[in-house]
Amino acid sequence: MPAMSNSTDYLKPILLRLGSMSLAITLLTVLALASVIGTVLLQNQDQADYLQQFGPIWYWVFRSLGLFDMYHTWWFLSLLGFLMLSLSVCLWRNVPRFLKEMRGSKVALSDSAMKHMKYSRHWDLKGTSADNVLLVAKERLKEWRIREEQRGDVSYIRADKGKYHKWGYICVHSAMLVILIGGWMSVQFGFRGNMNVGVGSKESEISFLKGTSTEYMKMPFEVRCNDFSIDFYPNGMPKEFKSNLTIIDDGKEVLTSDIIVNEPLYYKGVRIYQASFGDGGSNIHLKLLKLDGSGDIDSAEAKVYTTFKDEATGITLEMTDFRPHNVENMAEAGKAKDFQDLGPSVDFVMRGPGLKPVKIRSFMDAFELNGENRGNFMQVSFSGNTQEFESVALGLDMSNPQEWELLQRFIVHLAGANLKNQQKANMQAFKAAMDDVFGKDKRPDNFQAMAMRVLQAVQVIPRLPWPYIPVLDDYDQKYYTGLQLAEDPGMNVVWTGSALLVMGLCIMLYVSHRKLWLIVRRKGNDVSISFVGLSNRNPLNFDREFNEILSLMDDDMQQLKKGDAV
Amino acid sequence: MTAIAESNGLWESMYQGRTAFVRYWAYIGLMLGAVGLAMFGGDGYTENGYIFQLVGQDGLMWLGTGALLGAGLAIGASMLRPEMIDGYIPKMMVSWFDGGALMLVLMGLLTLLEPTAAMVSYEDQTNLFAANVIMTMNVLFLFSAICYIAYLFAPDSFIGSMATATAWAALYAGGSALLLRWYESYLFMDGEIGHAPVSNIYEVFILLFCIVTIIYLQWEKRYEAKAMGAFVMALVAAGVFFSIWLESVGQAEIKPLVPALQSYWMKIHVPMNFVGYGAFAVACGAGMAYLTRMWLEARNSKMVRVFPSLEQLDQLAYKSVAVGFPAFTLATILGAAWAAEAWGGYWSWDPKETWALIVWLVYGAYLHVRISHGWHGKTLAWWTVIAFLVTVFCFLGVNMYLAGLHSYGRLS
Ligand code: HEM
Repeated sequence: MPAMSNSTDYLKPILLRLGSMSLAITLLTVLALASVIGTVLLQNQDQADYLQQFGPIWYWVFRSLGLFDMYHTWWFLSLLGFLMLSLSVCLWRNVPRFLKEMRGSKVALSDSAMKHMKYSRHWDLKGTSADNVLLVAKERLKEWRIREEQRGDVSYIRADKGKYHKWGYICVHSAMLVILIGGWMSVQFGFRGNMNVGVGSKESEISFLKGTSTEYMKMPFEVRCNDFSIDFYPNGMPKEFKSNLTIIDDGKEVLTSDIIVNEPLYYKGVRIYQASFGDGGSNIHLKLLKLDGSGDIDSAEAKVYTTFKDEATGITLEMTDFRPHNVENMAEAGKAKDFQDLGPSVDFVMRGPGLKPVKIRSFMDAFELNGENRGNFMQVSFSGNTQEFESVALGLDMSNPQEWELLQRFIVHLAGANLKNQQKANMQAFKAAMDDVFGKDKRPDNFQAMAMRVLQAVQVIPRLPWPYIPVLDDYDQKYYTGLQLAEDPGMNVVWTGSALLVMGLCIMLYVSHRKLWLIVRRKGNDVSISFVGLSNRNPLNFDREFNEILSLMDDDMQQLKKGDAV
Repeated sequence: MTAIAESNGLWESMYQGRTAFVRYWAYIGLMLGAVGLAMFGGDGYTENGYIFQLVGQDGLMWLGTGALLGAGLAIGASMLRPEMIDGYIPKMMVSWFDGGALMLVLMGLLTLLEPTAAMVSYEDQTNLFAANVIMTMNVLFLFSAICYIAYLFAPDSFIGSMATATAWAALYAGGSALLLRWYESYLFMDGEIGHAPVSNIYEVFILLFCIVTIIYLQWEKRYEAKAMGAFVMALVAAGVFFSIWLESVGQAEIKPLVPALQSYWMKIHVPMNFVGYGAFAVACGAGMAYLTRMWLEARNSKMVRVFPSLEQLDQLAYKSVAVGFPAFTLATILGAAWAAEAWGGYWSWDPKETWALIVWLVYGAYLHVRISHGWHGKTLAWWTVIAFLVTVFCFLGVNMYLAGLHSYGRLS
C-alpha cells in the first residue's frame, strides 16, 4: 500500500505539470518557433544545393538535425505527441471538475464572497413582505435561469445566463486532440504521391518523397490517360487543364471521366487530382541547315527527353522540352499590352567536339513585327542557363527553302565581288543570287522584303560557331498528365475536429457566464435586499447589462416602497 | 451599419420593431434563395455562369421567392409571437444587410459611369471606372486618418465627426469599388475571366481596409473609443500607401485566374482570412492606443483625457482578438478544405500554411495568458502589436520572401 501511494505521489506533480497552462503556453510558443525554421529553410530540396548553399559544416549540422525535412523529424513529431499528451492530461483533469461545476453550483452566497463582487446594490424596504420582493424580482429576471434557496431568515435567488460557457473550453481542447489524432491517422494509414501518365499510356505506380529519398507504391488499379488538353486565355495564361482518364481495375475498364484542377476523381477510397502536366515525349523534327558552304539541309528526328546523335560530326542534340505556344507581350513597357503567340518551340542542348555546350530554344515560325516578316529566330544561352537566353535573329524565313538557297548564292557572289563600295557590292551580289535562284530577271513578289532578310541573315548566320543551325520543322505533340493520388482516412476526423473547434471557440469567446444574486433578509416587518453580479468575460457588456437590470430593479423596489405591490 | 442611424426618428423606426424584423428575414430568405439557386436551380453552380444566373430570370425567381417567403414567414411568426420582434440578432444584423444592399445599389449606379464595352479591353484597362472610385477611397481614408489624429489634439471641434463621416464614406467607396471591379472583370474577353475581386494582393488590400474600418467603427459606435481611431486609421493609411505603390507597379490590373484559384473556396476562404487579419489590425490599434496612453500618463499630459480608459482599451483589444481568432481559425480550416480539394492534402507544411499556424498559435497563447493567467495591461498591449507584425509577415512577407505552393498573391 505505501509503495503504491508513493508512486502516485510521484506521478501527481508530473501530471499537474503536464496539464498545466504554463506548459500549454510554452508548447504553443516552441511549436511556433520550430515551425518558423521550416519555412525559412526550403524543405526537401536537392542535397547538393544545400551543400553548396551552407558549406560542409553547416550542411552537416542542419542535416543531422533533420532540418531539410523538418516536419517529419522525430523531434518535431515528438513535440506534437507531447502536445497531445498534455491536452489529454489537461482534459482529464479539468473536464470532470467543469461538468460538476456546471451541474451543481451553489445558490447561496457567503458574505465574504459578496464583498468581492464588483457590482452590487442595497435596498432597505419597510413594511413589505419578503415574498412580495421575491415575486417582483423573479418577474424581472424571467429571462434568466433562476434557482432559489432559503436559509433561515435569508432567501437567495441565483440567476444565470451563459452557464454552458465551460463547454467551450471542453470543445476547443478536445477538438485539438481530435485534429491531431486525425493528422496522425492521415500519416499512418494514408498516402499521397504523384503519377505521370503519358497520353495513351497507363500507369499504376505513384512516387513520393520519404525523408529525402523517393519511394514508390503500387495502386490497386491502373490509370490510363486518354487525352489531355489545355485551354488558354488570350494572354497565354492557362485557363483549364483537363485530363480524360479511364480507371482499369483487374483488367476491366470500370470508369472513364474528365478531371480538372479543383475537381478530383474518386475511386475505391483514392482521390485522383489534376496536379501538373508536361511534355510526354513529343516527336520533334528538325531541319539542320549546314554552315559548311554546301547549302545542304539535313534533318534530325528525336523524341523529347531523348538525344539525337549525328554520327558524321559527333554532335548531339538533347531534347529537353517542347512547347506548342509561346505567348508574349510584345508591347513596349508602359504601353497597352499586345499579346502574340510566337508559335511552337523546342528546347535542346547542343554538344559536340570542340563546341561549348549551348542551350537553344528554336522556334518554328518566322517572327512577325507590325505585319512584317522578320524571319526565324532562336533563343540561345551560351552559358547553358535559361535565365540568360539571348535572341538570335536568323533573318531568313526558314519555311521557304529558296531563301536559304538565296543566302548561299549571295555569300558566294559577295565573296567574288571586289568593289570598294559596300552597298553596290551588296546590290550586285544580290542580283546575281536572285538570277541564280529564280532564273534571269525573274523576281518573286515581295522580293524587296526578302532582300532585307538576306542582308540581315548574312550579318548573323556565317558567324555562328556551329556546323549547322537546327531549326524546328515539324512536330507531333504528346503531353503527359501529372496526377496526384491520395488516400486519407484521417481527413474526416480532422473535419470533425475542426467543426468542434470553431463551435467551441464561439462558445468560449462569445458566451460569457453571467451570474446575479438577490439576497433578501427578513428583519421583522422590514426587508434588506442585496443585489450583486459577476461575469467571467466581457466586462464592458456586462457593465451595461447589469446597470440596465439594476435601474429596472431599482424602479421595482421604489414601487414596493410606496406600498403598491404587484 | 449606417452612421446616422441614431439621430433621426425615421431612421430609428427603420431599425426597430416589425420593419426591422421582417426586413431581416427577407434578407435571409434572399440569401437562402441564392444558395438554393447554386445548388438546385438553373444550370447549377459554375464558376462563370452563376453570377449571370443571379442577375437573370432564374435569379429573380429564386431570390424573389426566397425574400418573399422570408418576409411572409416573419410576418406570420411575429403575429403569433410578438415578443420575437425584439430579438437581439435581427436588430443588430439588419443594419449590416442594409449596408451591403446600399453598396450594391451604389455599385449599380457606378456602372452607369463605366465606358462602353467597346472602349475597354483587357490589354488597355486604363479607362475602367473602378480605379477612380478606389482613388477616391484612398483620399478619403488618408483624410480620415489625418482627422482622427487631429482629433487627439482638438477633441472638442467638429474634426472628430468629420473623421468618422469620412471613414464611413471611404468604407462605402471601397465596398462599391470592389463590387464594381467584379462587374468590370466580366467586361472583356467575352466575360471569360470574370471573377470575385479577391484574387490578388491589390484587391484583398482594399477588402482589408474596409474590414478594419468596419470593425473599428463598430467599436467607436458602441464604446465611444474615438481616440483609438488615430491608431487604427493610421494603419489603414499605411496600407493605402502600399496599395498605391502596388498600383504603380502594375499589380492593379484585372488578370485571369489560374486554374487552382478557380474555385468557390477562394470566395469564402480569402474574405474570411481577411476578417481575421482586419480584426488583428484593430487589436493592434487598440494596443498602440493603450501604450500611448500609458506614455502620456507618465508625462502627465493633458491629452490623456481624450483617450478611453486603459481598462477599456485593454478590453477593446481583447474584443478584437475575440472577433479575429474564430474567423481566422475558420479561414484556416476552409483553406485546408480547399487544399484538400485542389492539391490532395489538407496540410502540406507550405510556408503560407505554416505561418497561418504560427499566427494562430501566437493569438492562442494570447488568449491563454489573458483568460486563464489573468494577464492584463501593458504586456498584452505589446503582445497585440507584435502579434500583428507576425500577422503582417504572414500575409505579405511570406509572399515576398518565401517560396511555396500559394502562387496566389505573389509579388513579381
Ligand atoms: C491555440 C489553441 C488554444 C486555445 C485557443 C486555447 C484556449 C484556451 C482558453 C480560452 C482557455 C480558458 C478557458 C476558460 O477558463 O474559460 C484555456 C484554458 C486552458 N488550456 Fe487552452 N487553448 C489552446 C490550446 C491549449 C493546449 C495545446 C493546451 C495543453 C497543452 C491547453 C491547455 C489549457 C489549460 C490547462 C487550460 C486551463 C483550464 C482551466 O483550468 O481553466 N490549451 N485554453
